[in-house]
Amino acid sequence: MRKGIWQEFDGYKEIADEIELSFEAGKERSFDRQLADQYLGRLHPKELKLRVVDVIEETPSTKTLRLAPVDALLPPFLAGQYIPLFAEIDGIRTSRPYSISSQPKQTGFYDITVRRVPDGLVSNFLMDQVKVGDLLDSAGPQGNFNFNPLYHDRHMVCFAGGSGITPFMSMIREIVECGLDREVTLIYGNRHLDDVIFHPELESIAQRFDNITFIPVIEKPAKTYSGACGFINAALIQEVLGDMQDKTFFLCGPQGMYDFCLPELESLGVAKRKIRKEMYGPPVDICDYPGWPSGINPDKNFQVTILDGKTIPVNAGTPLLVSLEKEGIVPPSICRSGECSMCRVKVLSGKVFQPAGTPVRKSDTRFGYVHSCVSYPLEDLEIML
Amino acid sequence: MDYDVVVIGAGNGGLTASATLARKGQKVLLLERHNIPGGCATSFCRGRFEFEVALHQLSGLGTPEKPGPLRMTLGSLGVMENLEFVEIQDLYSVYMPDGFTTCLKPDKNQTIAELKEKFPHEKEAIDNFFDLVYTYANDMIGAFIFRDPEPSRDKYPNLYRYALRNAKEVLDDYFKDPLLKTVISVYWGYLGVSTDQLSFAYLAMLLFQYIEFKPFHVKGGSQALSNAILNVFLTAGGRARFNCGAKRILVEDNQVIGVETDQGDTIETRYVVANISPMETYTNLVGKDLIPNNTLQEMNSRILSNSAFTMFIGFDCEPDELNIRESTNFLMASTDISRSLHDRMGRVDIQDELMVMSCYDISDPTFSPPGTCQINLVTLKYGDPWLTIPPGQYHEAKFRCAESMLKRTEKIFPNIRKHIEEIDIGTPLTHMRYLGHPAGAVYGFESRTKDSFFFQPGNRSPVDGLTFAGGWVGDQGFEPTLRSGVSAAKSILRQMNS
Repeated sequence: MRKGIWQEFDGYKEIADEIELSFEAGKERSFDRQLADQYLGRLHPKELKLRVVDVIEETPSTKTLRLAPVDALLPPFLAGQYIPLFAEIDGIRTSRPYSISSQPKQTGFYDITVRRVPDGLVSNFLMDQVKVGDLLDSAGPQGNFNFNPLYHDRHMVCFAGGSGITPFMSMIREIVECGLDREVTLIYGNRHLDDVIFHPELESIAQRFDNITFIPVIEKPAKTYSGACGFINAALIQEVLGDMQDKTFFLCGPQGMYDFCLPELESLGVAKRKIRKEMYGPPVDICDYPGWPSGINPDKNFQVTILDGKTIPVNAGTPLLVSLEKEGIVPPSICRSGECSMCRVKVLSGKVFQPAGTPVRKSDTRFGYVHSCVSYPLEDLEIML
Repeated sequence: MDYDVVVIGAGNGGLTASATLARKGQKVLLLERHNIPGGCATSFCRGRFEFEVALHQLSGLGTPEKPGPLRMTLGSLGVMENLEFVEIQDLYSVYMPDGFTTCLKPDKNQTIAELKEKFPHEKEAIDNFFDLVYTYANDMIGAFIFRDPEPSRDKYPNLYRYALRNAKEVLDDYFKDPLLKTVISVYWGYLGVSTDQLSFAYLAMLLFQYIEFKPFHVKGGSQALSNAILNVFLTAGGRARFNCGAKRILVEDNQVIGVETDQGDTIETRYVVANISPMETYTNLVGKDLIPNNTLQEMNSRILSNSAFTMFIGFDCEPDELNIRESTNFLMASTDISRSLHDRMGRVDIQDELMVMSCYDISDPTFSPPGTCQINLVTLKYGDPWLTIPPGQYHEAKFRCAESMLKRTEKIFPNIRKHIEEIDIGTPLTHMRYLGHPAGAVYGFESRTKDSFFFQPGNRSPVDGLTFAGGWVGDQGFEPTLRSGVSAAKSILRQMNS
């Protein structure tokens, strides 16, 4: 074909003039890119340095760390969102997500509230070693456990278990401090009365604000305790709420709470779309998880070979992500609960256990990708990062 | 040499370039900043839904009996056996606020009949217009696809007459009814420029392609396509590094000699495929001082396309309970297809813009979990105004815009709000963040007539060894970008042999 036959097309002259003009009028866009990067850095910084400016003891097993920005403004967030905290502990670089418990309109600091977990690498580090003045690495707030004005009811019913109170604390504080036209019924389960985090503040808020109701539920109360006891069951929910209409339910707590409360809500006729559930880390004891193959001991050792990389020892009961981090291999991770897919790796050979219902893309499953934060080796593996 | 070729970016073009080169025995490294392949061609999970990010209707695939160009491309890459395509039974529906609605089928005669029924006063014009679309498409195919060595005005009269005209002029020549013009031109939403600036050639080719080769979707969504192509690449021995972008393209005596990654290591190579914008490539990776002035001028002469505001909505019921009957629905606020419609894409708030609502479960009932369905509701918006929103007000702006879109959609599908189970929202800033495109442009440079097919710079660069793939250097959309990677790969193979 002759080159440039379009020069013979009708209207070419006008187009050629327009092109010539646009060459002269063209504008360089590299500066815009910098602007965009700066702006996005305000919303979703890849790195966020925070300084511990206060440590507040909430209960014997719980502390709030007040974190102020070091060299930037804090990114905005929605009440209920979390930040990942990165730490290097005993030579192991890892991270954990922590819901922000302070309210979003207060922009000077983030509070995160940490409860001691038996053998909890990061929680114990934060509880025992971090002090005022220390620096912590974080990144922009994340997560989808927030009130959505597009379709959530103005009356939120919040079920919290233990340290699962933190996102609700942010929501409740925002509602009362900013005078939002919303209603909250908080049903907060704990094993013992002195485990209840934010107890005085919640009681005081509930007293002062008609739109906030606070029902602590104690699993193992003292004999003299007169409040609600046991688990958050259908009878209790029914008694507190009356009817289930025009309410959206938010659950945040350990897996055991979901396993118990979700069927109770279902028995009360609450539709699935009315229930929001925050993720809460990998299962505490994977061997108890439905579907775990019998006969595989959590201490059983396997080897994982990384494509073009080294071979590392792992054991069946430890999430693959954690085993990788122990060997100095740090895939990006954010939620560490199976949802965000950041720690996705491809299993080239071998089998892993990944709890049923882990939200993995269909085609990722088809091609062998797993979310390493909730994947447990059942054989020797070869993986691609 | 560490690698024969380094491909920067695992978008559609980067993926097909990588797979083509690896299958030709080249040692290829694919770098991708994100943790998944696909660029726009991805999905993400929320609750029990896996939301499709970008693909509405795949063009150019054709049926096994009458394969289109894309089926041949994917076939030659060896990915077809890992993919299940689903033919979409409708071309598109248009909904107007006054209750007018029409559903066109991907069949020329049915579409003409439906239009004539709705617009009896324009019967003749409808016949004439589709004659023009088809003769234009045939001229184009004869001259450019089959590469006629001696094209002429006698052989291809409509090509010569119409190739450089804009769509609105042609619509005005043929039709009087503004509603008909609106209905027939809604595909401008897939191209990003309103009809007064859109090349008629693009509108004609899009209509022709979708009718002749049928619109398709793919099981598992566009992520399945991306994963399948990546899989072919890996199987052929290719290496991919995710969470790792390129920081510099190293050039010596105008020849690519390597790539420095943003993890700090340097990879020796003599060939790079850039599946990223030329701005990023020339300005940040190569360095402007190494690029001739006319190349930079050409780049700057073009206008960044719009970005998009997208709502991903999962419902706890089947589409028919929502009254959603077709896969592809254009929701229009008025019959104004003039310049002002285009201008409105330049403000943050959403009122009367064109919106596309795709419901994938109509053609593929397995797309969402049983008893549920999802829609992708999108409108085009320029990205820059979003940079003027104070960051503290970003979430509010996002919800406000989403509320406007939802309200407009509810007027047509009144049941939707009470069935919502999940919503996620992508704003122009989301696109800036995940795609890294300046201004969050989803269509690369704008497809104005002056920037159409004939006037694009093509995949070559002034730097030896540097070749482009993707929507920034050619046409936009899945089919063109998937094919662009194959062209880039072939171009590199030719350079290697010469």
